[in-house]
Amino acid sequence: MRPSLVLAAVALTVAALLPLTLDPAGYLIRVLTVTLLFAAMSQAWNIVGGLANQMSLGHAAFFGIGAYTSTILLVNYGLSPWIGMLAGAALGAAFAALVSVPTMGLRGHYFALATLAFGEVMRVIANSWPSLTGGPAGISVPFAPDSLLMLQFKSTLPYYYLMLAALVLVTAVFVVTKAGALGYRLRAVKENPDAAEVVGVDTARVKTIAAVMSGGIMAALGTAYAQFTFFFDPETVFGLGPISIRVALIAILGGIGTAAGPIVGAFVIIPLEELANSWLSAGTAGLSQLVYGILLMLIILVQPRGLVAPVEALAARWRTRRAR
Amino acid sequence: MVVIQALVDGILIGGVYAVVSIGLTLVFGVMGIVNFAQAEFLMLGMFVGYLAWAWLGLDPLIGSVIAFAVVFALGCVVQHTLIRRVLRAPPVAQIFLTVGLLIVIENAALLGFGSQFRSVTTPYQTSALRLGDLFISVPYLAAFLMSVVSGLALWLFMNRSWYGRAMRATAQDGMAASLMGIDADRMRRIAFGLGVGLTAFGGAVILPYFTVHPTVGAQFVVLMFTVVVLGGLGSVAGAIVGGQAVGIIQSLSAMAFPVQLQNLVLFLVFITVLALRPQGLVGGAR
Repeated sequence: MRPSLVLAAVALTVAALLPLTLDPAGYLIRVLTVTLLFAAMSQAWNIVGGLANQMSLGHAAFFGIGAYTSTILLVNYGLSPWIGMLAGAALGAAFAALVSVPTMGLRGHYFALATLAFGEVMRVIANSWPSLTGGPAGISVPFAPDSLLMLQFKSTLPYYYLMLAALVLVTAVFVVTKAGALGYRLRAVKENPDAAEVVGVDTARVKTIAAVMSGGIMAALGTAYAQFTFFFDPETVFGLGPISIRVALIAILGGIGTAAGPIVGAFVIIPLEELANSWLSAGTAGLSQLVYGILLMLIILVQPRGLVAPVEALAARWRTRRAR
Repeated sequence: MVVIQALVDGILIGGVYAVVSIGLTLVFGVMGIVNFAQAEFLMLGMFVGYLAWAWLGLDPLIGSVIAFAVVFALGCVVQHTLIRRVLRAPPVAQIFLTVGLLIVIENAALLGFGSQFRSVTTPYQTSALRLGDLFISVPYLAAFLMSVVSGLALWLFMNRSWYGRAMRATAQDGMAASLMGIDADRMRRIAFGLGVGLTAFGGAVILPYFTVHPTVGAQFVVLMFTVVVLGGLGSVAGAIVGGQAVGIIQSLSAMAFPVQLQNLVLFLVFITVLALRPQGLVGGAR
């Protein structure tokens, strides 16, 4: 068995058993649940950002679409969030396809700029369409008794397992995509788009498929988030800082383009943020964000390949030494 | 008449947008880096102008010179300590380094100045010149004239001085410029300082009609990028045309749409231009 598989199995076992030792309505399990959610979101971003090397700064657009679609369907028609999640994922995927049309030919900075603009467009729309979205005042998920069908629970524990399942699923999608034909095509596009085109890779199609997958998954996670927090507004789900930059930062910190990267990144960033927020009083708003920004710059300057890279290098050295 | 009035306002505001965005385009032109943090330097310029008014009693139009000087110096430091290190790095590093810088500056300002809105009072704040049926707002006009002067000064600097020529040489080919005895690192330092300094200058001259707070930059990010993308990234002449265009689009759309949707119009223009002509409407020449 490959060491990475062993590691994954051990991590999953720990993750599955850990909450049994925690207070099911406590603070710690809430932090872990948010961490798992952001790991999954960052993994979804990784499909576009890591595999296709397209630096999206607009993934909040898909996330918000998912959160609003399921919640609006639930509020207005009483539809189960599971159906809302499917509808949201479909809309998110469709929006990703739509966004792909004008951004297809853009590379590097231009792609980042265009996706940033799309995210902001969605935020502005959500803010200025109160009859549908509740506008800047936000929208609440109507209360329901504990039920799996309505995806609503009083305890945090079920949400923990929901997010864990989501993370495992998204990571599986990422790993399978990376190892499959699509992954090889994406790698070709990433290394050299012109050469990829010459050897017969339909770069536009490959990039669109990656974007659609990523956008659909991100939207489904938006629904999970809405059901978990019960309340959100345009700034929290369509926000540039809270979502778009954060999911990218998590992947970059952990190791962009690797399956472990977003998970490692999320388990460093999210608890760190929580610690900073709980240590610093409300009067020093901005300090945790400041630390956040400094951290981002430090990673870029010191270890641009992420935290996973040195560990992998070490493991590779250990293997070759043992083989000798 | 209403349309002409909107056009006049648009042109006057657009002049400031042009100067603010020239800074962004200058940084890209010389270094090939898109500075996502550029709008934060505008916010810093506004705060320097505000403090110069609050502490020294200086009019923001004079304070703008101080804002330029302070932010120019800060820009040189940022270039030397941060930007310089990612000049040859892949775009992901360049994008996220400046995004990190954006977060740091915004939150440092939040910590330093608090989140409240501040504004200056000037004797000419609400006065307007009357030209027939047209009203020309004095603060708009003053900001516009200051922008024109600074734009001309930059043009003279870039085209008539040794530094300007050396900077353009560095932009064209850093290696060749170095071989000609130009200190390319120093030129890039000055270029970044000039770029963010000009943006800060533009921030200070709009103080008579714009309130300042630590997150004001967010209102300008897409606006500035729209201006430079319209004109072509790296093109100073393009930024001037783009600035006018964005000013006019904004004041015309203000007549048709509620305030929240004005930005939407701008976003759509931005995305359309990016998709159809990422090299800018004015043309590839820079």
